[in-house]
Amino acid sequence: MNSIVEIKDVWKKFPMRRERPGFKEFVVNLPKFLRSSPNSHFWALKGISFKVKQGDCLGIIGKNGSGKTTLLSLILGTIYPTEGEIKVSQKLTPLLELGSGFHPDLTGRENILINGVLLGLIKEEVLERMEEIIAFSEIGEFMDMPVRTYSSGMYLRLAFSVAIHTAPELLLIDEILSVGDEAFQKKSKEALLNLIHRGVTTIFVSHQMSAVREICNRAIWLDDGKIRAEGEPEKVVEEYLRCSG
Amino acid sequence: MSLINREFRRKKDLLWLLTRKEITLKYKRTVLGILWSLLNPLLFAIVLVIAFKIFMRIQMENYTFFLLSALFPWNWFSASVTMSTGTLIGNVTLIKKIHFPRHFLVLSTILAQLVNLIFALPIIIGFSYFYGKGPGMNWVLTIPILIVIQFFVTTGICLSISLVNAYFRDMEYIIGVAVTMLFWMTPIIYPLNIVPEPYRIYLILNPLTYLITAWRDIFMSNSIDWGSIGISFGSSLIFLVLGVFVFKRFGKRLDEVI
Repeated sequence: MNSIVEIKDVWKKFPMRRERPGFKEFVVNLPKFLRSSPNSHFWALKGISFKVKQGDCLGIIGKNGSGKTTLLSLILGTIYPTEGEIKVSQKLTPLLELGSGFHPDLTGRENILINGVLLGLIKEEVLERMEEIIAFSEIGEFMDMPVRTYSSGMYLRLAFSVAIHTAPELLLIDEILSVGDEAFQKKSKEALLNLIHRGVTTIFVSHQMSAVREICNRAIWLDDGKIRAEGEPEKVVEEYLRCSG
Repeated sequence: MSLINREFRRKKDLLWLLTRKEITLKYKRTVLGILWSLLNPLLFAIVLVIAFKIFMRIQMENYTFFLLSALFPWNWFSASVTMSTGTLIGNVTLIKKIHFPRHFLVLSTILAQLVNLIFALPIIIGFSYFYGKGPGMNWVLTIPILIVIQFFVTTGICLSISLVNAYFRDMEYIIGVAVTMLFWMTPIIYPLNIVPEPYRIYLILNPLTYLITAWRDIFMSNSIDWGSIGISFGSSLIFLVLGVFVFKRFGKRLDEVI
């Protein structure tokens, strides 16, 4: 089994951006601004290393602000590490979370087309799968309405439907299962399990410990930008719950 | 081979869809829709004609045609530059959630503005029939070349400013003034030869002077000025290389600022 995601000692720094002062304050307080160091920053990830093998389903848990989403964005490639190395040797997928890259003024259909191509299909392939995507999302007659008229549940269902129909090889999921109604939650979980069983590698960020226990075969606990525990989902979840409970 | 082919087709589809998105969004929820592409430059042209031909009484044959032959290409440039300041900022959701070549956003903004120029071509052809030498074979050869050259310059400039604007939002206001300044510093509403000799050097240093001159030559007198085209092409490559460099160099930290 070869690893398809390889993360070696990754650090990620964000500048702490205070609200820029207006021109007047700047001139008045010039001596102060010249003295203060402009380079205050915040380390979101501090030396993370792990590998994900083909067919793995890795769960990432941790409290808010521990670096989970930053880690997913790094794997996705929308942001770059400050230090360290990330290798992803498979077709990239969307970051699934509330409010994916849809444009509110375009219709559902137009958004499917653009997103499908952005996610790696060619136009014809998206058109071929269009009906399937629409059927899965259960959006029906709203398909030709602008997306801004959708409820948040519909929005999410559409995003989810496009993503799983783009034949992903590596699925990155950020807290998606906790939204949508019961029926759709169940349906999307099934669709996801189906993909996982077919050997799609998944990285899964969640606060729902039951889902992590159920779906994942490995888990990582992120705490303050570092890996606190790693291994069997049962054990990692238990340790996490004990320490944060 | 088929993989490369597929990737090429996907890129082509992506550029086309993003461009179409720009065009659709621009006129969504308007009554006249894409007609504005034609109306907007036309109304601007009418204002200029009234001001300069009627009020200031510029003594020149076919002044209206003279003005339009440069104004329409210029509009493509100025609209692209103005729109591109907001391109990266306006697509934050896409940039943060999907991994794709970000320069496509800038390219599609520029291509979407090209529609205006294409819409205006029939008007120029009409003027050319009545006041000029009429469109000829030279047009078929030169127009695509000039479009490519102008696309290069505009791309270079737009890549840089869209990125710089993500870091310093002041760029938007600077660009507003700079575009107006450039409009008056390029021979669009006046011919180069009425500029007094000591000041002409500033216009000669402006690469857009050559591009606009080349457009005007083909539209008004059906002649190809290879000298101007050559200089435009050379300078467009410089702008393109600089733009790509800035975009690559500073694009990696884009996520931290938007």
